[in-house]
Amino acid sequence: MACSKENIVLIHKYLDNEMTLLEIKQFQQHINKCSDCEKHLQELRKTEAITQSASHVKAPSNFTENVMGKLPKQPASQKWKHRLRKHPFMITAATFFLVFIISLSSAFGGDGNDIVVKGDGHFIVDEQRGVVVIPEGEHISGDLIVRNGDIEIAGEVTGSITVINGEHLMASADQVSGEIEEINQVMDWLWYETKAFLSEVVAFMSTENEENEENN
Amino acid sequence: MDIVVKKIILEVKKGNQEAFSELMDIYKDKVYHIVYRMLGNVHEAQDVSQEAFLRAFMNIDSYDTNRKFSTWLFRIATNLAIDRLRKKKPNFHLEDQVAGTEDLTYYSQFSSDEELPEDQVVQWEMQEWVQEEIMQLPPKYRSAIILKYLEDLSLKEIGEILNLPVATVKTRIHRGREALRKRLRHS
Ligand SMILES: [Zn+2]
Repeated sequence: MACSKENIVLIHKYLDNEMTLLEIKQFQQHINKCSDCEKHLQELRKTEAITQSASHVKAPSNFTENVMGKLPKQPASQKWKHRLRKHPFMITAATFFLVFIISLSSAFGGDGNDIVVKGDGHFIVDEQRGVVVIPEGEHISGDLIVRNGDIEIAGEVTGSITVINGEHLMASADQVSGEIEEINQVMDWLWYETKAFLSEVVAFMSTENEENEENN
Repeated sequence: MDIVVKKIILEVKKGNQEAFSELMDIYKDKVYHIVYRMLGNVHEAQDVSQEAFLRAFMNIDSYDTNRKFSTWLFRIATNLAIDRLRKKKPNFHLEDQVAGTEDLTYYSQFSSDEELPEDQVVQWEMQEWVQEEIMQLPPKYRSAIILKYLEDLSLKEIGEILNLPVATVKTRIHRGREALRKRLRHS
């Protein structure tokens, strides 16, 4: 009933677009004469079309979460390392314990646009993005004031947060036990009050820091 | 290779799990689709494709970034799917699958109380029928047919995924195509 085996091989070769122009011409001449091969080719074309009509099924909606939940747990310190990698411009400007106060201006009180932080704990200043980061696993005890910068909280703050000329960003509201206030107007009295307080402590802290760096 | 994908993979190689979820979002549908077509069952497809991603994450160090990532990933996925088929039954047939209560077919993964427009029902019935026909193929032809006709991959890529010479891939596609033709020609 079917044509020769050789010709069936040719039909597949034809379907796979693997024939030279001459071979195609010869093949088509044969198809025109041989109804078996013509029918066979038609059936294969129909088969291809039906198979290709199978639609693309999508992965279930919780697919990624399920797999991510099965990956080996990373230690917190390693997670933090990845955060640092993720933001290549992040600079670990300072690690302060107890009371920290920092201004990134070389001459304090310069243009007044530098990031100023006041708080008690362990934080990182990303000068490029203008963000003060409280890393995951870190804990700020007491109130926190950030001026001229945004604050990103992955860790915890037990006090209230005041952001002056900036915004706050955090994973969950549970991370801050106090209130969060954003002040985006120029509030001179607060600034001057802070500045007055800062000048005193910065003078004191800078000598402390130099000592610490030498020890490290 | 796609520069974005390459960057994400380099992050994953450093151990960044968050980057891996980005990678999954790019490839999950393709992997799931291939595995589903191989196994014909949504539960097993989910199980095996999740396993494929877990293995990919665990073995990411052995992936050579100069090669195409999808090829490497699809290879893991098809190997796992073929393993699963082997473990199941020496001769896997659709009849057995339908008889089993825990198995779901494509159509039944949609909740039954949901009202479906008739043309959609017809389309899903058609889809189910195509899947049944694919399931009738022996696994070695099935994988080649799925990669060619459903993923639209080149013979060379299929050869790399299945770890076969291109000539063998061709033979499998020809035989798979013939087997399907014999079943589908009177439809
Ligand atoms: Zn003929």
